[in-house]
Amino acid sequence: MEASTAPAGTGRGEKAPAPKGRRPAWLPWAAGAVAVLAGLGLQSQLYSGQERTVTTVYMFVALAAAWNLIGGFTGYACFGQVGFFGLGAYTTVILMVHGGLSFWVAWPVSAVVAAVFAAVIGLPLLRLKGHYFAVATLGVAEGLRELVTNVPRWTGGGAGVTIPSTGDLAPTLWLGNDGFYLLFLGLAAVTALISALISRGRTGYALRAINQDEDAAAAMGVNTTRAKTLAFAVSAALTGAIGSAYAFQQVTIYPERLFDVNITVLMIVMVVIGGSGTVAGPVLGALGIAVVSEYLRQHFPQMHSLTLGVLIIAAVILLPQGLVNFVRDAMRTRDFSLLSNVRRYRL
Amino acid sequence: MTEPEGSPPAGGTEAGDAPVLRTRGLGRRFGGLFAVSDVALALRPGRTLGVIGPNGAGKSTLVNLVSGHLKPTTGSVHVGGKDFTGARPWRIAHAGVARTFQIVKPFRGLTVADNVAVAAMFGPSPVRSPAQARREAEQVLERVGLGGRGGVPPAELSVADARRLELAKALALRPRVLLLDEVLAGLRPAEIDPALALIDELRRDGLAVLVIEHIIQAIAAISDEVLVLHHGTVLTQGPPRQVLSDERVVEAYLGHRYTRKNPS
Repeated sequence: MEASTAPAGTGRGEKAPAPKGRRPAWLPWAAGAVAVLAGLGLQSQLYSGQERTVTTVYMFVALAAAWNLIGGFTGYACFGQVGFFGLGAYTTVILMVHGGLSFWVAWPVSAVVAAVFAAVIGLPLLRLKGHYFAVATLGVAEGLRELVTNVPRWTGGGAGVTIPSTGDLAPTLWLGNDGFYLLFLGLAAVTALISALISRGRTGYALRAINQDEDAAAAMGVNTTRAKTLAFAVSAALTGAIGSAYAFQQVTIYPERLFDVNITVLMIVMVVIGGSGTVAGPVLGALGIAVVSEYLRQHFPQMHSLTLGVLIIAAVILLPQGLVNFVRDAMRTRDFSLLSNVRRYRL
Repeated sequence: MTEPEGSPPAGGTEAGDAPVLRTRGLGRRFGGLFAVSDVALALRPGRTLGVIGPNGAGKSTLVNLVSGHLKPTTGSVHVGGKDFTGARPWRIAHAGVARTFQIVKPFRGLTVADNVAVAAMFGPSPVRSPAQARREAEQVLERVGLGGRGGVPPAELSVADARRLELAKALALRPRVLLLDEVLAGLRPAEIDPALALIDELRRDGLAVLVIEHIIQAIAAISDEVLVLHHGTVLTQGPPRQVLSDERVVEAYLGHRYTRKNPS
């Protein structure tokens, strides 16, 4: 068949204009490098309270980017992500307190434990879709919290447990505000880097295809079971590593705080607002929410939660596809109106 | 019933005696109902098998059974002499069996070219690099008449172009067997002939083709053999002219009253 027999294809005039000023391939990498350098430079400008706040922001950047691998790229909304966070944390606690191991050993082991756990529960759970998957993972996280609370000999139970981090008994000395600042900045950078590498490679295409239509992906040769399980395990490994670092930073940890469902909710909100399934979206979403939240906390302490909630609702209504995807759509169609965006995605 | 226009394609009559895909006793039960039962078919290189049947006859279920999207309750599927009964869809795709979906399934978040590139990256002979896969995708798009449309999102394609994309995604697998589930549905009359010509060209390239279609004239024009499904079973099978003049086929499509009022 000749190409000219395609009336609809030729009826639309010449080819779409070559994208003007198409962004060069090195730009995202350069932007990432600049962001990390800025983070390093910022450190010297902060006093210790601010340094801890910014460290927490980095933690959420990393958590959001990790959730995005399974929830954003793959489209499996995991509502039990905090389970991997807590699992990483308590693995580290047990290894350091009972095993006397260095944090630098416990840290990678915690990531591996979370990944293996995710792969094992993923085989049955990733056969579920949509709400069923969300509720099942939520149940797993709650179950883990109950488990941790009920084996106090190992975990300290509800009363909490303290990692020895000073003096001769400490397997590893506490890293200090400066040390944890660098640790979490590094975790955020590595998580974003892994997202970028996955996004550009074959695996990224497989995950996006699964997200859009799993049957079609399988028909095109994508081993959907393997791709989904891989995404889930990598996401869990990163989340476990973050939880591990958080446990050491906090020194004393409690199951209620380590398995707090609000942590999962924050990750999801950050990803959705920033742009799920993109590399930059979770990073910008986490930074944006953290900055707005902190501003409101300082200037409108009484109205903080209410105002933040209203802003999140407004953002989800006006930018249902997230900030990064909105900008991408708007650049392509040259239409920056929020109303026509709502029309495109909501109506 | 009028004689179908056009004759079955000449040439390639000697092609492919050994079937590349064969089913035996293939069946699938949903609850107490067999949607498909006891279907034996063989697809040969360079040959087109048309499958027709009224709505609900089990045509799409048959494709889903062969492609691995449904597991058969009974029977077997062999590809290239190997048993693929109950295999997952990607294993069957890796064996060289490509399919389209009756309801088009574009990856909406990817551009048209990236949609096709996925098949090039994960097919039987996978291309490792996304950039190389996109170049192959552009060639396939050119072939199905979507040249130059690679950069747009699938949502901006017309119905006919969405069907072309569906076909391009199947072709990018470089398959041996092509299962086409109503690729002509929704096309305007002027768009049908080029599409048929393309399908016939693929057959001449040596693919084994299975075409499901409602438009009987269209299917008769390009099929070497036609299989009629009715209530999930094979009503009859044979050369198009013979099958389409079969009284039982007319009855299956139009009902008893039509045949009684118009005794042939």
